[in-house]
Amino acid sequence: MGNPFTDLDVHAYADRQLAPERVAELEDAMARDPALAAKVAEIERQNAWLRAGLGTALDEPLPRRLIDAARGAPRRSYRLFAPLFAAAATLVIGLGLGWYARDATLQRAGMPTSFAREAAFAHALYASDAKRPVEVWAPEEKQLVAWLSRRLDIPLHAPDLNAAGYALVGGRLVAGNERPTAMFMYENSARQRLTLQARKQAGTDETAFRYAVEDGVGVYYWVDDRCAYALAGNLDRPQLLAIGRLVYQQLATADAPR
Amino acid sequence: MLAVPPLPEPDLLAAIPRLRRYARVLTGDPTRADDLVQETLARAWEKRRLWAVGSDLRAWMFTIMHNVFVNQLGLAARDARNVSIDGDGDGARAWQLPVRATQQIRVELLEVLRELERLPAEQREVLVLAAVEEMRYEEIATVLDIPVGTVMSRLSRAREKLRRAMSEGRDAAQAPLKVVR
Repeated sequence: MGNPFTDLDVHAYADRQLAPERVAELEDAMARDPALAAKVAEIERQNAWLRAGLGTALDEPLPRRLIDAARGAPRRSYRLFAPLFAAAATLVIGLGLGWYARDATLQRAGMPTSFAREAAFAHALYASDAKRPVEVWAPEEKQLVAWLSRRLDIPLHAPDLNAAGYALVGGRLVAGNERPTAMFMYENSARQRLTLQARKQAGTDETAFRYAVEDGVGVYYWVDDRCAYALAGNLDRPQLLAIGRLVYQQLATADAPR
Repeated sequence: MLAVPPLPEPDLLAAIPRLRRYARVLTGDPTRADDLVQETLARAWEKRRLWAVGSDLRAWMFTIMHNVFVNQLGLAARDARNVSIDGDGDGARAWQLPVRATQQIRVELLEVLRELERLPAEQREVLVLAAVEEMRYEEIATVLDIPVGTVMSRLSRAREKLRRAMSEGRDAAQAPLKVVR
């Protein structure tokens, strides 16, 4: 058996730099060889975590001295190895304080923007997880739904998305900043994953579907009855919307009195 | 005599956030990272006649920064720095975590950043350039002035180490979680 792909090809594929003519071949091999697919998924997962961990550094405001330096301002004399421990300590404390202040502001802003962002973020991390994308797998769907309903204290339903080509993988509890979030994960035959996330939402009126793209992940989110929902996936907008409507219909009929 | 054309300022400014981030990976310290970026920008202006107009400015800047960093620290000092970072075990302090991350994800992100800091510098550089900067392997080879084969072997070792460390961490963290069900 075996496959004609080297370690180098696997890295190149996960880093999106494998020669285009070999991409399809490798995807075929992945479909036949779960070990190969797992290897790729592990690298993609690592990449997602590393980008998430180092990503915020790009949003920091630029210091004046670097803007001046980029404009070719004459160099002032300074020593690169000056022991700037005091300055560094102050900066670290400042960053820490700034971080908490920013966080508090965002939490006060609450739904729905922060929910969409958290949902996209949780999607990016867990959908790329090869080993443990979910805590409870689809064969135990009944227990999964019962468990998550209990933890969120609202009746939940895992919609059936087979009509759209997506099967339930399972679900997990995501510890949200304010309240716990339930995540149901789905997968199609091309191993593309979607997540539907739900959280209890007190005192907010129902909203229309809204759409956001966060870190390349598309999210439809809405509030219905006592629940905020987010459907996240790396799909284009019309596809995601179609699935969003399917989810919405099923939840509406599931909630209706029988 | 022909005047040396200036560098495209908007492109330079646009490159700064990524240069700062990579400098922080190299130095493990935000202030020293900004010193390194400032020095890199100054060098870029001094050497601007060496930049081929129209070529990738970002890759050129990264190359300059790598050279500045290596020259200033020297390999011996660089190794010593690694020991000190490994020693205190919390290189992750140089990074802020995403605001939108939940508590649970923050804990895991901190773990990833710690493991990243524990990698040998040469592996960490290659991993960040490939995974986070999304540079092509050939570009990384140019920036670091090493053969592409070396890029690949360092990348492969870095990922294997990270995988092992993270799966051990996950297994340890997963064990008590089972009770939840």
